[in-house]
Amino acid sequence: MRNRVIGVLLLLLCTLFAGAKVYRVEDVPMVHLQDRTRYVSNPDGILSPSSVATIDSLFFALEEQTGIQVLVTVLTGIEGGDCFDFAHRLGQVNGVGQDGRDNGLVVLLSTEERCVQFATGYGLEGVLPDAMCKRIQQRYMVEHFADDDWNTGMVEGMRAVCGVLDGSMENPADDEEGDMIAVVIFIALIFGGIGIIAFAVWYGSRCPRCGKHDIARVDSRVVERHGSMYVRETTYKCNKCGHVFVRKDSIGNSGGRGPRGGMIIGGGFGRGGGFGGGSFGGGGFGGGGAGSRF
Amino acid sequence: MKKSTIIILVVVAVVAVWAVTGYNGLVKADEAVSNAWSNVENQYQRRADLIPNLVNTVKGYASHEKETLDAVISARTRATQVTVDADNLTPEKLLEYQKAQGEVGAALGRLLAITEAYPDLKANQNFLELQAQLEGTENRISVERRNFNDVAKSYNTSIRTFPKNLLAGMFGFEKRPYFEAQEGAEQAPVVQF
Repeated sequence: MRNRVIGVLLLLLCTLFAGAKVYRVEDVPMVHLQDRTRYVSNPDGILSPSSVATIDSLFFALEEQTGIQVLVTVLTGIEGGDCFDFAHRLGQVNGVGQDGRDNGLVVLLSTEERCVQFATGYGLEGVLPDAMCKRIQQRYMVEHFADDDWNTGMVEGMRAVCGVLDGSMENPADDEEGDMIAVVIFIALIFGGIGIIAFAVWYGSRCPRCGKHDIARVDSRVVERHGSMYVRETTYKCNKCGHVFVRKDSIGNSGGRGPRGGMIIGGGFGRGGGFGGGSFGGGGFGGGGAGSRF
Repeated sequence: MKKSTIIILVVVAVVAVWAVTGYNGLVKADEAVSNAWSNVENQYQRRADLIPNLVNTVKGYASHEKETLDAVISARTRATQVTVDADNLTPEKLLEYQKAQGEVGAALGRLLAITEAYPDLKANQNFLELQAQLEGTENRISVERRNFNDVAKSYNTSIRTFPKNLLAGMFGFEKRPYFEAQEGAEQAPVVQF
């Protein structure tokens, strides 16, 4: 037991000093899920923040226009060492790309394996064929990566990818779908609100002794006042059993019926929100793409 | 009607409903296996379609490597003759198919190995892209093979577990073979059964 603990500690120390963390597919953080404007998973900080921001803005515009979802992953090391397999599983496990259109693209750079790999979803194999992936890697990325210039290589490569994909397809479903969901939520909220109010009214009209819903208010007066708040005492009489009872409720001056009511529903379900979590649609991958070593 | 007749009728109805849904489920699983198989065949076909182009490109730079080039062509010819119908997918047939395709893979491997000696060829854009396509096709093949194995496995599990095995036996659903992990002529492919 003790030996094992020491072993684990040693291993941890080694990885710390080597600086290379070996990732499993499930360990790669999906920044896009927290913030839908981000597409670059850069947990080891290999790319500079400005490169990440450049690539993010490229692919955010691309997704808005075409619906194509891109996942760029830059890691120090990958488990198994097989770049194609890792990139493919990254796409498959996270479901990059829209469901049914399978228009996802995974770009993987591993500095330990010294490889760059594109994995294209089924729906992108036509617009971004393997030979095109290879050409982009050879022309824009590999020579920079060979000099450990990760930023230039990645930004130029992703610009080229964007140039190929830009305008290659439309994004028809997206906006309408978003609007539909907003409308459904809106209607649900309204009906839900009406239901809750109706239930409260119905429940409040119940006689505590016989349980019948036939009570009449016979008296109402204010018994206490604290600034703008006051406590009202209302006397009710049940028409069925004749039971007389008193209810106390405290009410603010605005009474809850003022113009402030109803404002709960205005919020932003629209697409312009900005920093909400994104999602990947569940696209499928069939092994398209290309890889290069440097 | 007597109580016992009602009970018998209800039992018969329940069994009938189970048999119908179970049978339909098996048919669907069987179709999924056939579909996965045709995807595998498509990808192998895609590789076969790339070969003439690749061979011609290499020939332009390395015409005296005739032996290796001919080996690729003949392996391709042999492999395209081995076709397996999805409904007729026996372990022996799959073994034969895998062996023929494995030989194509091995011949291609030797061809790509000799191209290392020709820097002009390696700098040729056309060759580079053919190579990229070939790589992509090999990746697709491995993806589809893995997918086929997964689908076949879930089908096999469902026809062998109780109580669906009764239905499977009655309607003649048979176990499907799997691809072995490692492709290549030097290792004789083994089909697991």
